[in-house]
Amino acid sequence: MTITEKIMAKQSGREKVAPGELVWVDVHTVMTMDYLGKTCFDKFNSLGKTEVFDKDRVICVSDHLVPPPNQKFATMLNEWRAVVKKHDITHFYDLGRQGIAHQIMVEQGHVLPGTISIGTDSHANTYGAAGAVGNAVGVTDAAVAMATGKAWFRVPESVRFNIVGEWQPYIMAKDLSLHIMGMMHWNGHLIYKTLEFTGPAISSLSMAGRMTLCNMTVDLGAKNGIIAPDHITADYLDGVAKGDWDMIQSDEEAKYVAEYTINVSDLGPTVALPDKLDDTVPVENVIGTKFNKAFVGTCTNGRLEDLAIMADIMKDKQIHRDVNMIVVPASQTVYLDALRAGYLETLILAGAAIDTPSCAACAGIHTGVAGDGDIVLSAGNRNMKGRMGSKNAQIYLTSPAVVAASAIRGEITDPRTFN
Amino acid sequence: MIKGKCWVASDYVMAYDIIIQQFWTSPIDPLLNSEWVMAGVEESFNKENGFKNEGYTFIIAAHNFAGGGKSIEHVIAGLMGAGIKAVFADSFARLQFRNAINYGLPFVTCTDIAQGCETGDEIEYDPDSGLIKNISKGTTFQSVPAAPFVAEVGKAGGLMNYVRDKISNGEAIG
Repeated sequence: MTITEKIMAKQSGREKVAPGELVWVDVHTVMTMDYLGKTCFDKFNSLGKTEVFDKDRVICVSDHLVPPPNQKFATMLNEWRAVVKKHDITHFYDLGRQGIAHQIMVEQGHVLPGTISIGTDSHANTYGAAGAVGNAVGVTDAAVAMATGKAWFRVPESVRFNIVGEWQPYIMAKDLSLHIMGMMHWNGHLIYKTLEFTGPAISSLSMAGRMTLCNMTVDLGAKNGIIAPDHITADYLDGVAKGDWDMIQSDEEAKYVAEYTINVSDLGPTVALPDKLDDTVPVENVIGTKFNKAFVGTCTNGRLEDLAIMADIMKDKQIHRDVNMIVVPASQTVYLDALRAGYLETLILAGAAIDTPSCAACAGIHTGVAGDGDIVLSAGNRNMKGRMGSKNAQIYLTSPAVVAASAIRGEITDPRTFN
Repeated sequence: MIKGKCWVASDYVMAYDIIIQQFWTSPIDPLLNSEWVMAGVEESFNKENGFKNEGYTFIIAAHNFAGGGKSIEHVIAGLMGAGIKAVFADSFARLQFRNAINYGLPFVTCTDIAQGCETGDEIEYDPDSGLIKNISKGTTFQSVPAAPFVAEVGKAGGLMNYVRDKISNGEAIG
């Protein structure tokens, strides 16, 4: 069996499962967040329940609406806080202790190898970075899991991406994600599949990179993305893990419906052109493209490593006068670590605006949304028309390294030849 | 047996366009969500009750219906509120496929149906056999029948009812 099959078998109390089977599994944690959370609790109550299955394993996060930019969001947040308090939830990451839910889930040890966690936001696929099955669900599934500790799943077919070669300077997991997006397209090949990333270039990849890679598997249409746990996973979780874990690995004879090999030694900075995620090109094709807004943050690329590479590129330089740049650390922990490491000082001196951790403009409902005519160079995860605000804005997606170098020049730039 | 007229969509109708951004933070409510459902898909639907007033019963789509990766249930509630009784497509995005199962709205996989139908055609669908008849064109398509669990949840009127019944009867789940 593959790692995902073995985890689903274990969590459904079976010896074996096969793709296509429908199983009810035990979930380790259920995550919900500010703008859907109250509905989630209301639905949970409507099942005739008043107490969640485990107060320590329902994780509540304020990320989409904080700090509230308008009265509607402020009122929604107040209702959300009231319902979390009423249910006496142990882990509530509210404004002041907040972060983007997926970052919080992994960083605070709520996602563990060999277990299954679900969340009411599409990028819950991020959890696969910790060797867990992480799955995005609607509020109905979350409400059912809050009541019963269980969720239903169809066991997915597995697809293996064998990532070989050596990571080159300024090449990031985001480039690999976008490369795969362009290679596989939104044509349905990967719908319902589990994507397993293996190989030497995965063994050498940091947890931050693994999170980026698994995060964007939802945008490939996949059910989940997963990386088998190893010493990097264990080191990361040591001291933060809330619960026991099981370092489940795929069997040697595990079956995959498709296998692909990608050599990262050949991988260059990659950019998704506006409107379609799978319309990706090597950075060379768009060198010199002007833009007026730069954005780095989100559950895809708002981590310490992302801010570190930006600080490295932007040190003692000035952001181009025609570019406004917003940087949003993915959590308060990332924020504080970046502050202490001096990265934020470097970015501020370069002329970047730093905002408090949240989903920010990624979903177009908060800080720094795009207006008519804006051309945004973003390290986020989606570039459809209207995603960041106006339908008359264009969004290019790329890595934090490309955004950093480009923001200095005022046009899309290859970070490898920047200096 | 369900009867009614269909709307034929193109490839890649995205969840984002079914429920546009300004309504993502609205309550999940079929009546409310249906007022502006499909507003981003076609300009003619971009007005209050623009899609709903067309009186469609079925949607016929091609690949990756309701894709783009949003997990919000407003999408399904909006379609149901607009009178949609089933969606037929080559493939569905998994998040909304799951939500549709949980709401008891049949998302039915049927290859090549998109090529054989036009908007406004009269369609007859038999959920038990999976047969889809295009009465206007005199053609028939065989869809993939629902898995037993999916049919059971559909019969209960959605996952909430299914689980609520199990809980109140003291039955185990799974």
